[in-house]
Amino acid sequence: MYNDDEIELTLAERAALASLPREMETGDMLEARVVRALRDKGHFGEPPVRRRGSLQVMWRIAAALALFAGGVATGRYILAADVPESASISARASNDRNARDTTPRTETRPVRQNETVVAEREMWL
Amino acid sequence: MTAMELHLEPATVLEKPAADSDAALIAAAISGAEPAFRELFRRHTPHLLQFVSRVLGASRADAEDVVQDTWLRAYPALVTFRNESSFSTWLCSVGLRAALDSMRRGKRHIADTLFDEDTHAEPPRTEDRMDLEKAIGCLAPGYRMVLVLHDVEGFTHEEIALQLGIAPGTSKAQLFKARRVMRALLTGRENIDVQ
Repeated sequence: MYNDDEIELTLAERAALASLPREMETGDMLEARVVRALRDKGHFGEPPVRRRGSLQVMWRIAAALALFAGGVATGRYILAADVPESASISARASNDRNARDTTPRTETRPVRQNETVVAEREMWL
Repeated sequence: MTAMELHLEPATVLEKPAADSDAALIAAAISGAEPAFRELFRRHTPHLLQFVSRVLGASRADAEDVVQDTWLRAYPALVTFRNESSFSTWLCSVGLRAALDSMRRGKRHIADTLFDEDTHAEPPRTEDRMDLEKAIGCLAPGYRMVLVLHDVEGFTHEEIALQLGIAPGTSKAQLFKARRVMRALLTGRENIDVQ
């Protein structure tokens, strides 16, 4: 229907099209208008704020990790220092537990200090 | 190192980014550097304004509104620019969408039938020859858009189809008709004869 030959441009037409201006002068007002519109939308100056925010988050994460590692180290240090004592406590606690095994499971009983130490030791080691 | 070089500060360099590539300016503009954006604007807006003005066939004020809209769309989208085409081409495609939206807002009935196969543009009844720029401005919007994109900007029919959301065949048909009308306008013939 639309043959390429039929719509082919003549050399004169090509030359005329090629000679059309490619640029139009823009004034300072247009630039100022566009920059102002972008500023109004809060575009310029935002990224530095974002960088500061992300830096703060990174410092907070680092501080949290340091606190956690400090806690782990302290716990290990305390448990390592108590090993002989807690081992004997553990043996005694085991005997006590065996003795109490005859009591019904549903019965409530107070938690003793020795049992807590054993549980902590098992958790860390 | 000379004393002058020693006194160069980053701010001084930022104020003169003319030698920087588009990619460097885009990266700086994305990070919020206004001078880099201004340089990008000065470098590409003259072509964008001419392109939009020609596509719209409207007044300079309308074209400037569309240029502003184009930059407002383009700036947040700079992060998506991948250097697969030139920045100028990418910006013109954003400008084309802004121009289409502007036409839809202003004259919905025209935009709806922009690429209708049955739409015909009637040239003004005149015996006088026109200059090329004026003849392009007299074309129907659908014809003008395809002719500017293909014959002036050098887009292929496939690219035009992609940009305008039409079939490549429709683009060819529009170009055929646009050239026919344009010839009639340039030669001052009142009756358009395809043969």
